[in-house]
Amino acid sequence: SHEVEGIVSRHRSGEGYQKHSATLKELAEYEKVLDQVKVTQKDLEQDGFIKNPFFHGIVAEVPEQHRTKEGHAKVGYALYFYTYSSWKGRALYMEDLYVMPEFRGKGIGKALMSKVAQLGLAAGCTQLNFAVLDWNKPSLDFYLSQGCFDVTADMGYHCMRCEGAALEQLAQGDT
Amino acid sequence: MHFKVRAAAKEDCKEISRMIMELAVYENMADQVKTSHEDLKRDGFSPNPFYECLIAEVPDEHKTKDGHCLAGRSTCGHVSVSGQRQPGYTVVGYALYFYTYSTWKGRSVYMEDLYVMPDFRGKGIGTGLMAKVAQVGVEKQCVRLQLSVLEWNKPSLDFYIAKGAEDLTAKEGWHFLRFHGQTLDTLAKEAPKD
Repeated sequence: SHEVEGIVSRHRSGEGYQKHSATLKELAEYEKVLDQVKVTQKDLEQDGFIKNPFFHGIVAEVPEQHRTKEGHAKVGYALYFYTYSSWKGRALYMEDLYVMPEFRGKGIGKALMSKVAQLGLAAGCTQLNFAVLDWNKPSLDFYLSQGCFDVTADMGYHCMRCEGAALEQLAQGDT
Repeated sequence: MHFKVRAAAKEDCKEISRMIMELAVYENMADQVKTSHEDLKRDGFSPNPFYECLIAEVPDEHKTKDGHCLAGRSTCGHVSVSGQRQPGYTVVGYALYFYTYSTWKGRSVYMEDLYVMPDFRGKGIGTGLMAKVAQVGVEKQCVRLQLSVLEWNKPSLDFYIAKGAEDLTAKEGWHFLRFHGQTLDTLAKEAPKD
């Protein structure tokens, strides 16, 4: 095996989003929900680079000699956005954290997450929040080992969602 | 009861702060509130705000002895939206929300708080506030409205489920995790240099 330097950098150009879409699909496969991915490369370009972007992204790149056989240098990413806690103020939500399977176990995921935390603190955030599926033991173990706590298990908060017809009806005031 | 829902103005921050505390008391977590009305003003009313807020108001003739409005007997639920403070109205509820992103589905809206003062519940005000959040979201092409609720808070759980919300924690096993305080500082210190 070889040592890989995970270089984590701020992602600016639109060019990378083709590869970003490829890794989104890999993450979805891992979570067994590929048919649910509706966001296209164009959506990402539009929503991430408007004046008040809906999200921010950082990527991990490896040097040329460690590129994958398909030629990918971007081997992981984190996507996050700013949120607000009415009790604590500014916060961050990390929507995705992903490292390609062959680059795991080298500190890249940790480096990405640390970078998100650093960016959040610099912006005055006091929380970094994210979600994980309770059966996803490798991820759960990883996160807990880094010092976070399980808000759902410890405090009893459940995530709720309205979408599709329920959202439309709600918006029309029909409920 | 006649009520109005409108976008919050920065002058509403003291009232919003009052109601945030009332909601925390209801959730048995009053000691957790650290935000001041100045924080709310700075974070909600800058060019790139961290949140948006809607206010529900009732006419002043319904005032309680401590200056808030008392529930009347009629149950007319007229909802209108205006960005301006209406003279002769008092604030009795709010919804605080912000935009989020799902890499699978795109734009979403997250409703952080929904609160109506106890004397004014059961009159459609909570529904009016939440419907307006949904409407604002849909206008911005959001495909989801998300929120969280404490599992013991049965009245709220029932309210949201009646509106078509699904409990993703129960259904799919989603858990929220959090770094804060010391654990967040420790994590950030380990970030690679640029």
